[in-house]
Amino acid sequence: MKLNITLPKFLRIGTLPLILILFMAIAFVVAMMRYAFGIGAISDLSYSYPWGFWISFDLFTGVVISSGGFLMAGTVYILRIKEFEPLLRPSILTAFLGYIMVAVALLVDLGQPLRIWYMMIHWNHTSVLLEIGICVMSYLTVLAIEFTPVVLERFPKLHKVAHLIHKFIMPFVILGVVLSTLHQSSLGSLLLIQPQKLHPLWWTPILPILFFSSAVTVGMAMIIFESTLSSRYFQRGLETHLLAKLAKGLPVALGFYLVLKFGELAVAGDLGYLFTSGVMSALFWAEILIGAVIPLIWFSIEKNRANPNRLFAGAVILLLGMILNRFNVSWFAVKHPDPLFYMPTFMGNVKYFPTLPEVAVSIGIFSAGIMAFGLIAKYFPVFEAEHETEETHAPVRRLHPAPTAADD
Amino acid sequence: MTDIKHHAYLFDATRCIDCRACMVACSVENNIEMDKTRIWVAGLGVTGEYPNLQRSTMVYHCMHCEHPDCMSACPVGAYTKAPDGPVSYNPDVCIGCRYCMNACPFGVPHFDYDKGIIDGAFIDKCTFCPQRIYNGQEPACVQTCPTDALEYGDRDELIKRAHERIAAHPDRYINHVYGEHENGGTSYLIISHVPFKDLGLPELPETPINEVSEKVMEMTIPFALSWGAVLTAVTVGVAAYEKKNGKGKAEQTK
Repeated sequence: MKLNITLPKFLRIGTLPLILILFMAIAFVVAMMRYAFGIGAISDLSYSYPWGFWISFDLFTGVVISSGGFLMAGTVYILRIKEFEPLLRPSILTAFLGYIMVAVALLVDLGQPLRIWYMMIHWNHTSVLLEIGICVMSYLTVLAIEFTPVVLERFPKLHKVAHLIHKFIMPFVILGVVLSTLHQSSLGSLLLIQPQKLHPLWWTPILPILFFSSAVTVGMAMIIFESTLSSRYFQRGLETHLLAKLAKGLPVALGFYLVLKFGELAVAGDLGYLFTSGVMSALFWAEILIGAVIPLIWFSIEKNRANPNRLFAGAVILLLGMILNRFNVSWFAVKHPDPLFYMPTFMGNVKYFPTLPEVAVSIGIFSAGIMAFGLIAKYFPVFEAEHETEETHAPVRRLHPAPTAADD
Repeated sequence: MTDIKHHAYLFDATRCIDCRACMVACSVENNIEMDKTRIWVAGLGVTGEYPNLQRSTMVYHCMHCEHPDCMSACPVGAYTKAPDGPVSYNPDVCIGCRYCMNACPFGVPHFDYDKGIIDGAFIDKCTFCPQRIYNGQEPACVQTCPTDALEYGDRDELIKRAHERIAAHPDRYINHVYGEHENGGTSYLIISHVPFKDLGLPELPETPINEVSEKVMEMTIPFALSWGAVLTAVTVGVAAYEKKNGKGKAEQTK
């Protein structure tokens, strides 16, 4: 019955969902055009640039920002640090939706979208992409299992089923962490096959380890980012003390990442490229400074960790830098074969710049993700705080004044 | 025709006259549009200074590597390498991910960007004309070539022939057979009078490129199992520790 009371309220919120729906509609139309006339009709992808914005944004960025799910599942279930429990469900939901978005985006990007399940039956064991495909599909299942109790708790009659799932959750949590470790790192391994295409500042045999360690930092930053935003949007309490505790781990993880990255460059003798490669050097430094060095310093200062606004700012900086890293590795630093290698008619497109429809697809899918997060968080007990107030009827602890007027 | 143990091509850049008959032959033989032909010719223009002017042309198609990166990369195993040379592609299992295009150091596989979901968008590349070579004929491009710039035969024999030709005209050729060792060897061999870099050919190591990623892939299953075992041990350990020391103590481990 709650549905009847909340639905008009949801309609009244207005602008944000409307904009999201508009983006989704545009993406849908573009996707239909792609299915009718081919990928070339809506994108700038070519023989020289088979992968572009979709892979960099939807796959590489989409997967890495979903890493909060396995981090929180590991912390709460395996290490049993129960105080982080309020962050668990939103992180799992973010991860679940994130991976669904990746899958949906691949359905647009693949030449044969209806055959995406072929990865389950045709195995080429030397392919890194197969590992990623299998891991993402399995992990989606694991996330669904991990999230089911939240859905079931919504219905009092199904509480028993939720309990049952909860009882047997441990094997799935461990499987989820293993699968995440595998595919977060394998996304780096994906580039191992192009040593002569990827710039030496980025190509290294330890790409998988770099990818995993940076995914850990992104996961933590993403939890800070997403809990802050949802606390504002849903006008609920923010677990600043928990986020501060989480942020304490960031300088350690970032330090580890930096040592690995520069250590590898030194060992491989590629340090010279740091200043001699023009745009590439600039991109490298931008990614290192924004994604690792500045956040490392920022989160080392206790004052920054105690203040929710500063926590949020630090997380945003880190996310921007690390997303730039994923774009660098999968797009900006990849040099494709010499143009003259292509037949004259193929040569039309030796430069790549994403087209508007291409970006519109990604924005639409992303909007659908935000929308789904909002709806699920509204109707299901995702946030522990809300869950508690429902039972105890205690007022929600608020750090920020309710921004109702600004929202409308 | 004599039995060929390992099918291969030899391209002599000094002989190519840029007539592009091979492109027409390929397109006719395989019934594909001219702008999607599996062989393509790049005229590199006139280079050098008068009176030492040079003109060079390069003919590209699939290199039929001995350790194909496309085959290593393809998640569904759409590529196969025949023991006697040809690398072939099977459209029936292809999912259109285009990872092979990224993996190929030569940029060979190309994709139907203009095909929607009903026609189906596939990868296309040189097949080595199996319908011809297994029936005692030369591949279409080779048979059409008027100047014998493209030759076909057994790989070892062609390598020998290439080296003999270089030895006979050391002033004319660069002393190197491209493809003999590049990327672990290819079945398309090239000799030239201009540096191979000018022909648009990448400088590749003698070890196959896919060695690194295949090694990493081999480690996947052992790593997954041991990581799973470690996590299980930690789970059991933390739970036991918590039971022993009462609730809440375990939190301090962080």
